[in-house]
Amino acid sequence: MSDASTFEPKIVAYVCNWCTYLGADQAGTNRLEYPSNVRIVRLPCTGRIDFNLIIKALEMGADAVLVSGCHPGDCHYTAGNYHARRRWILFRSLLETMGIDLERIHFAWISAAEAKKFQQTITEITEKTRQMGPYEGYRRVCEAGV
Amino acid sequence: MIEQLRETCKRLLEEGKVNVVIGYGQDSPGGPVHPVFVTRTDQVGRLVWNDRCFNNLATYLTRRDIKALGKPAIVVKGCDERAVIVLEQESQFKREDIYVIGMACDGVGSPRLAKCAACSVHMPRFADETIGVSNTESTADGRFAALDAFLQKPLAERLEYWMNELARCVKCYACREVCPMCYCNLCIVDKNRPTVLDTSATLKGNFAWQITRAFHQAGRCVSCGECARVCPAGIDLSLLNLSLARAAEEHFAYHAGMDKDTPPVIGSYALEDKENFIL
Amino acid sequence: MSQTITLDALKRLAGEWIAQGKRAIGPVRVKDDFIQYASLTDADALMLSGFVHPANSIKEFLFPRTEPIYTYRFKGQAVELGDCEPNAGEQAIIGARPCDAASVAILDHVFNWDYKDDFYNTRRAATTIIALGCTDFDDECFCTSVGLGPVAEKGADALLIPMDGGFEVRCLTPKGEAFFAGKTQTSDKSAPVPAGPEVKFDVAEIRARLADNYEDPAWREIVLRCLGCGACAYVCPTCHCFDIVDEGTAVGGARIKNWDSCQFGMFTMHASGHNPRATQGQRQRQRIQHKFRIYPEKFNEVLCTGCGNCTRNCPVGLGVLNTIGQLRAFVPPVEG
Repeated sequence: MSDASTFEPKIVAYVCNWCTYLGADQAGTNRLEYPSNVRIVRLPCTGRIDFNLIIKALEMGADAVLVSGCHPGDCHYTAGNYHARRRWILFRSLLETMGIDLERIHFAWISAAEAKKFQQTITEITEKTRQMGPYEGYRRVCEAGV
Repeated sequence: MIEQLRETCKRLLEEGKVNVVIGYGQDSPGGPVHPVFVTRTDQVGRLVWNDRCFNNLATYLTRRDIKALGKPAIVVKGCDERAVIVLEQESQFKREDIYVIGMACDGVGSPRLAKCAACSVHMPRFADETIGVSNTESTADGRFAALDAFLQKPLAERLEYWMNELARCVKCYACREVCPMCYCNLCIVDKNRPTVLDTSATLKGNFAWQITRAFHQAGRCVSCGECARVCPAGIDLSLLNLSLARAAEEHFAYHAGMDKDTPPVIGSYALEDKENFIL
Repeated sequence: MSQTITLDALKRLAGEWIAQGKRAIGPVRVKDDFIQYASLTDADALMLSGFVHPANSIKEFLFPRTEPIYTYRFKGQAVELGDCEPNAGEQAIIGARPCDAASVAILDHVFNWDYKDDFYNTRRAATTIIALGCTDFDDECFCTSVGLGPVAEKGADALLIPMDGGFEVRCLTPKGEAFFAGKTQTSDKSAPVPAGPEVKFDVAEIRARLADNYEDPAWREIVLRCLGCGACAYVCPTCHCFDIVDEGTAVGGARIKNWDSCQFGMFTMHASGHNPRATQGQRQRQRIQHKFRIYPEKFNEVLCTGCGNCTRNCPVGLGVLNTIGQLRAFVPPVEG
């Protein structure tokens, strides 16, 4: 495709305030460069992350979505990430049946101290998504007339 | 069985044990079967029982207009009874406030509906009174046969399938209204200020709605198949619900509506929940 | 003496229409036993026999289930509005049942009443309706009870009546004549007139009962099983209520007209939280009142063409026919 060399994927990252967001902040403080393709959306806890937000990110044109929060056992609200994990396990099976590309939906545990992991995760996801190309599938769903 | 059912209901109404019987009726012999609400002993003749008793009557237990009629007796097949268990698990009523009449069922539909071939609850398990004996062997094998066949398709074909099917969805919400588990006073799709889901019947809006409804049923749907039966656009919605039912079974050994004392799958968690997809 | 056409010639005609970039719509087998009116990509898919009534109606081709009416875009503090043109390429609906064709004549009134709806009218002007007479009916059909029948001509530009070898063609308007110009053959035979369903109720009797007894105690009981979904309204050829919503993002969006159903709990919900039709009985009463008394009082015709779709698609087997049947049969309980 003529666009392949200029395609810049849009990545939406829903992150929890207490771990991953602070990890991203630390990456900034430590001058660890990561691709600016990512749009970070801060929420109090992964437990609050409604699966609908993942669908909305795809509706708005995201080519990949990351959901990230505190490691199990470290949740600021004690058990939010356990509830989230359970939901993610179930939601992935629904996405699979719908034919929505699971290779574009990522989940991670990134703590406030793991700036490097944040940098690596964003870099890897961006590169992988660049290889995969824009997410045509969901775009067609959104643009279809009646 | 019909005579025994009518006798039971007559007795329950006469003794004042219930105010209304939620059961099945028919306007004419051989005609279509539909829900009926019997409040007087002279009406018990309306009650029928046959292999066209498709409706899942549990959906009426949470409806305001029906609750206003008073304490109900409800006629259930094994599949419907599972919905009653889930409603009890979710504290929608106290068990002693309803009277469950369980009907032994050898399947409905002619030919038999797909759900009946893989049914493990031909005999109700928690009824206050059970009528009849089922001669059909109970098996849960093959419940996911249609889903397995569907998942063989490549990813792009699966999406294409849903794009074709959901293009016909008109957002009538028959699927929601017929479902016993959809009892929210304000459904998320009706919410505005701010609006969460598009109400329009565009493909985007239909995807958002069906994904949301399926996921809100995760671990709660009892696979009664009513949503797929009533869809006026002929969409096989059960595939979505079955995929979540299977995920709940595979990952959490959870089968909705089998035991009211098991913690619900979404409302609880375990430290050992599987993690292999998380970076 | 009559004009006739074979099925093959009719399909060829539809194919030519499609090849000219126009839209041809007709009954198609969507899957298994499921038939719907749909846009044809292949004229061969057109089904003109082997079913009683498609699961939907033709109104969606004149009054779509969702339609943007204008767009908006935020530019700083200002808002830029954009017009939406109705997508109104020429279209022919081939094989509309007479109950569906008649509905168009009824919708013409409502969309040209105190406000002329451009979206509807533009599409209407671009539409040719070829009705298909019925040789069969089922228990849910009741067109004859509302003044129609298996070969009713109301609303149609032309009418096809099945006969040996194809169809008799009756062109009823200039559009119908233009569609079939030069494509039919003269025959000395004409199609047998099919029988319709027996008349099941008298609309004048229903109208009088509705007018005399608004607080009919029947409404507390006969529709208890209604679930309040929109299936009946949405498959109905004459139901035309709609909702207006704004859908968009932080940068802009569209104001959209969507189908609505008086059976939804939210239909008459006021901003204050008060709902004048709070129970399903009140909502069903409204539906029957509208169709059989209020609309006739305004426009001199019944807002129902007896197609039976509401009953066929109702999850609990209600629909207009069964509701009216129960209303007529209702005996109030003896007190005490």
